[in-house]
Amino acid sequence: MGKAEQSTLKVELLLTKIVDDLDLVNQKLDSLIELNEKILKTQEEFQKVGSDKSHFETELKPELDPMSLLSLPMSLRKTVIALYKLEKATAEDLSKETKRLRAVESASANQLVRMEYLKKKRTGREVYFYIESPMEIRK
Amino acid sequence: MRKKVISIHSSRGGTGKTVIATNLAAIYAIKGLNVALLDLDFRAPSLVDVFSNAMKDPVRHWLNDFLDGRCKAEQALTNVSEAYRLKGKLLLGLANPAIEAIRNMMEKSRAWEVTAVRRLFSLRSTLFEEMDIDCCIFDTSPGVQYTSINAVVSSDISIVVATTDSLELKGLENMLVELYDTFAKKTAVLINKVFPETRIWSSEQQKNLISQMEKALKHPVIGAIPCYCDVLQAKRTSLLAVDKPYHPFLRNLEAVAEKLEHITETSSEGEVCRAKS
Repeated sequence: MGKAEQSTLKVELLLTKIVDDLDLVNQKLDSLIELNEKILKTQEEFQKVGSDKSHFETELKPELDPMSLLSLPMSLRKTVIALYKLEKATAEDLSKETKRLRAVESASANQLVRMEYLKKKRTGREVYFYIESPMEIRK
Repeated sequence: MRKKVISIHSSRGGTGKTVIATNLAAIYAIKGLNVALLDLDFRAPSLVDVFSNAMKDPVRHWLNDFLDGRCKAEQALTNVSEAYRLKGKLLLGLANPAIEAIRNMMEKSRAWEVTAVRRLFSLRSTLFEEMDIDCCIFDTSPGVQYTSINAVVSSDISIVVATTDSLELKGLENMLVELYDTFAKKTAVLINKVFPETRIWSSEQQKNLISQMEKALKHPVIGAIPCYCDVLQAKRTSLLAVDKPYHPFLRNLEAVAEKLEHITETSSEGEVCRAKS
């Protein structure tokens, strides 16, 4: 074999190797594209669940059952027990029931609203606090 | 008597809660007070057996139905005062003893318990404001369970029935601190089935035991009732307050009933102690 022929063979082998490597790169790119599609799909699902408020209300809303009261501070517990009795009440109503100051009841009820245990609703000048029963939400 | 709800509870079973609850209710009804006695022990209902002879018709609505919102309060209550010739009303609210009903109550969700405790509060209002009831007694399930906590939360005074068993006292001590003190409930302990069994039990011995128990439990003890074999052996359907009104067990329980009349939700611990003596 002459020198020219040997050079041609080396070039052919090199080109074949380049083609093989390019195939491998293509395969890896395909896998990356596939993976990226999966990530996008999962993100879309998360965004969909996040925008569906009722899903969070039924699945993640804390429930104010009497056993859970044991883990609440005494000041908040008193307000909840008064609300079990009154069902729907202003801070003034709560104050009459618990014999504590109106301001104490207002602070306690608003704290429970922030903790998502209670709901509040304005009717005219009055603000009413109530326990939204999860059973009622699920109906 | 100022209108009140009394829950009868214990840290474990077999302390005599049901005998105390039924006879306490009968004592008040004999005096002419209108009483409602509710079986809130949905895991092991027993009032249905105790009052089986007094029920004219089969029970159509149980307390289970009321808490599930399937019937009104008045439909779940039966007046048995005529059967025992009582001066006052004795309304019974019974728990369904069918296995299916018990299983159903055990599978209730936390969400259901929220609704149940609110229904118990509404039942209180119905009994006191519309049905002229003076006293409502809850016979609860022992230990810390949803139904017993619901009963404790919705009552004004809790009587914790205990025996002198040391293991039970340890459990009671924990329950008093972790449950009753947490809810700031007016609570009194009633020691039942006290040994040695004797009918000639000096008041000095009784006072000493009460004082020791108060020291150990750091809560007021409203009474100590000796253990009487014939009370333990009595038929399930026997209502002692009616069948054996002069039994010493009744004398002791009448003293407790009288003290309870003077305790209110807002009584201080000192007032509970004064009511005791």
